[in-house]
Amino acid sequence: MTTPAPTPAPARTPAGPPRPAPARTTIELRNVSRWYGNVVAVNDVTMSIGPGVTGLLGPNGAGKSTILHMMAGFLAPSRGELTVAGVPSWRNPGVYDRLGLVPERDSVYAFLTGEQFVLASAKLHKLTNPQEAARNAIDMTEMAAAADRKISTYSKGMRQRIKVAAALVHNPEILLLDEPFNGMDPRQRLHMMDLLVRLGDQGRVILFSSHILEEVERLSGTIQVMVAGRLAASGDFREIRRLMTSRPHVFSVRSSDDRRLAAALVAQPHVAAVELTGKGLSIRTTDYGAFAFAIAALARDQGIRLRELLPTDESLESVFSYLISN
Amino acid sequence: MFNSTVAAITLRATLGRRRALLFALPPIILIGLTIILRSSHAPSQSWPGQILGDFGFSVLMPLTALIIGTSVLGAEVDDGSIVHLLATPVSRVSVILTKFTVAAVLAMAFTAIPELIAGLIAPGTGSKLAIALFVGALVGSVIYTAVFVMCSALTTRAVAVGLLYVLVWEGLLSNIIGGVRILSIGHYALGVANGIDKDPALGAGLSLDTAVVMGVIVTVGALWLAVRRLSSFGISGEATS
Amino acid sequence: MSVNTESVIHDLGYKRYDGPRLGRAEIVRSLAWSSFRAAFGFGRSFKAKIVPFLILIVLCLPAIINADVVSGGAHRILDYDTYRPDLRIFGMLIFVAVQAPELVSRDLRSRVLPLYFSRPLRPADYPAAKFIAFFSACLVMMWVPLIALYLGTVASLHGGSQIWHETQALFPGLLIGLMWAIVLAAIGLFLASFSGRRAFATGSIAIFLFLTWVLASIVIQAEAVKVGGIHAVQGPGPGPIQATAPPTPTGVKIGGLFSPYTLMDGIRTWFGAPLKNGQVPDPHSFGIVYAIVTIALVAGCLYGLVVRYRKAALS
Repeated sequence: MTTPAPTPAPARTPAGPPRPAPARTTIELRNVSRWYGNVVAVNDVTMSIGPGVTGLLGPNGAGKSTILHMMAGFLAPSRGELTVAGVPSWRNPGVYDRLGLVPERDSVYAFLTGEQFVLASAKLHKLTNPQEAARNAIDMTEMAAAADRKISTYSKGMRQRIKVAAALVHNPEILLLDEPFNGMDPRQRLHMMDLLVRLGDQGRVILFSSHILEEVERLSGTIQVMVAGRLAASGDFREIRRLMTSRPHVFSVRSSDDRRLAAALVAQPHVAAVELTGKGLSIRTTDYGAFAFAIAALARDQGIRLRELLPTDESLESVFSYLISN
Repeated sequence: MFNSTVAAITLRATLGRRRALLFALPPIILIGLTIILRSSHAPSQSWPGQILGDFGFSVLMPLTALIIGTSVLGAEVDDGSIVHLLATPVSRVSVILTKFTVAAVLAMAFTAIPELIAGLIAPGTGSKLAIALFVGALVGSVIYTAVFVMCSALTTRAVAVGLLYVLVWEGLLSNIIGGVRILSIGHYALGVANGIDKDPALGAGLSLDTAVVMGVIVTVGALWLAVRRLSSFGISGEATS
Repeated sequence: MSVNTESVIHDLGYKRYDGPRLGRAEIVRSLAWSSFRAAFGFGRSFKAKIVPFLILIVLCLPAIINADVVSGGAHRILDYDTYRPDLRIFGMLIFVAVQAPELVSRDLRSRVLPLYFSRPLRPADYPAAKFIAFFSACLVMMWVPLIALYLGTVASLHGGSQIWHETQALFPGLLIGLMWAIVLAAIGLFLASFSGRRAFATGSIAIFLFLTWVLASIVIQAEAVKVGGIHAVQGPGPGPIQATAPPTPTGVKIGGLFSPYTLMDGIRTWFGAPLKNGQVPDPHSFGIVYAIVTIALVAGCLYGLVVRYRKAALS
């Protein structure tokens, strides 16, 4: 899990009136299912989302959007309980005081200017100083230069950002984003990621969905992986990797005498395969811990100097493909 | 209950497009035609009743209310931009009532006022009949708008449904089958107009009391249904076609 | 994971297609065919088929009733020329208003036009294919009830001469149906092509057709009454048959120009068809104006359609 953030200092929050420090806000799902006729979109999911940035990961059609819409109160679970900060979000407009949603669909009021749109959002949230809140939100998303143009003239990335501004204007504790980086160029993406990390560090609950692994990897340690409607894994992705014991870990090793080391390693019971690549050794082992211990001892006994020892597949991609294929 | 921000957005959305032409045109035609016919005809003929009644009441009013009523809610529901409105603590009742009010005011402006003007211009009608038609058109616009706003909340094909209602139900059936009149908004409006100035040319089939009671029931019922639907507004994850 | 220092392209068996390619005609043909199917809701869910088939059935109902009546020995109760005018006017109005956007507005909304036009398709081919498709669909809606009427009547007739007489009467009716299909398809597609929103397109077409028709009817009636005598002309709907044909007042003739329906009816009576169930009395020599206006209307709509898609090819 990402480090729990200190409770946010009330006066420095970006927009709107200062908020009292909340007790730990979470989104709780318990045995939540959602089906449409015969198609089960979400299948018995139990998860808890806390403060910080969490990534909701999964291939297309895995049910990520469905879960996000259920959390945002725009879809009712067919079964199970779903609460946002302790209250169900379905049929409960009051929950939007603390929740902001950035939907994926590219639909905004195109005939308004960016500023009017965010201002309208501020007024609809019944803020006491909507103009200032709107300006703050627009500055946070770096849209100040384009704020006085009609949204119909915006590029897709700009539309995403103005939607985020509108969702942030009321300073919500919970922010849900559905595929927020769609259509953004690398610079905008980096900036948005920065923003989300900052917001997460303030103790807000930030949940975003994506099927692009690099984004999630860079942005959050905590992930929730959905595959075909079920929750396949949750937690820090490095931890998850370690839990995947049925799949051998792969290390790459460079040493002063690769062949001798290889011969010694093959004799070890927990080494599944050793490959001599042009640049060193690639070793598959079934026991992460035992291997790490053993290789040091082996190298010392054989008088070989170890130059480099790297786990090569502790990436989100390998975790992901493992989860998808199983 | 009335939310000025929602009203401002709705007004802008409805008037700021080509669609506005569609409901600006019929009143112009109505008034223009009245002027032309008046200048080329002797008074006390049957044509005023037809222009004001057949055209104004039976065609102009429902179709204008249809376009206005479906455009205050329909487009937003259709392309999903209503999410931005619904993801706020504004109550659903407030959203529907505000949109309905904007639509009703516009419908009255584009229907009842031209009807009044035409009624005053047309010879041989007398100002009492003109006022009666004006009030009837006001009432009719309000009821029609409520029903069409409800249709937009319930279905994506609100215009087609509304069209079928106006053309088939009110156009054909209620003139053929008498009992159907009790469920015909056009007849509520005629009933009210007839109540103010009894005129057989109006062809009203309902008494004033029935018309008013049914009108209120239909309006309140339609708005209530719309609020219910909006409260349970669900979006599926994938884009709908 | 081993590292390859060489780059290699693998042969997956991909080959260029060198075989015969179907040309423009085939594209237009298949576009027209799929649009024709779309006009009746085929290729989509069941709900899309409700409106067109409902209208078709309703339009055929009088023919079925007629078949029943004729089998009892009576004469045919409907004309091939006018059928049941109210029903056809309303029915075709709804059909065109609801289905023309299915053909045209959906492509605009989902912005697939660049996909179409990046094929060997000339800018005029797309609207041509759509018009052929929708014209055929309207033709089906007009002819099926007429043919049902014919078959229902013929089934109860005896003797070749009677059947031949029926066939002779059917033929003008089919021609009128053809005219309706051309005119309504052109107007419907032209109006629908202005909007990607089906609801808006449906509304515009319906309002245009309905408004103009009511307008024309009112003007005709008003003008006729002015001349003196209700018997001079009939309003919309069935009425007493007119025995003689007094000169038609100018106002009436002009009034008939305001609506496609009355235009077509005027042409019909100009060609000498009986006045029964008609909207517009015989325009006499003015009829040529009716014909010209109708042709201009159709040509204008088709031309507008082509121009619209020449522009839209870029969006």
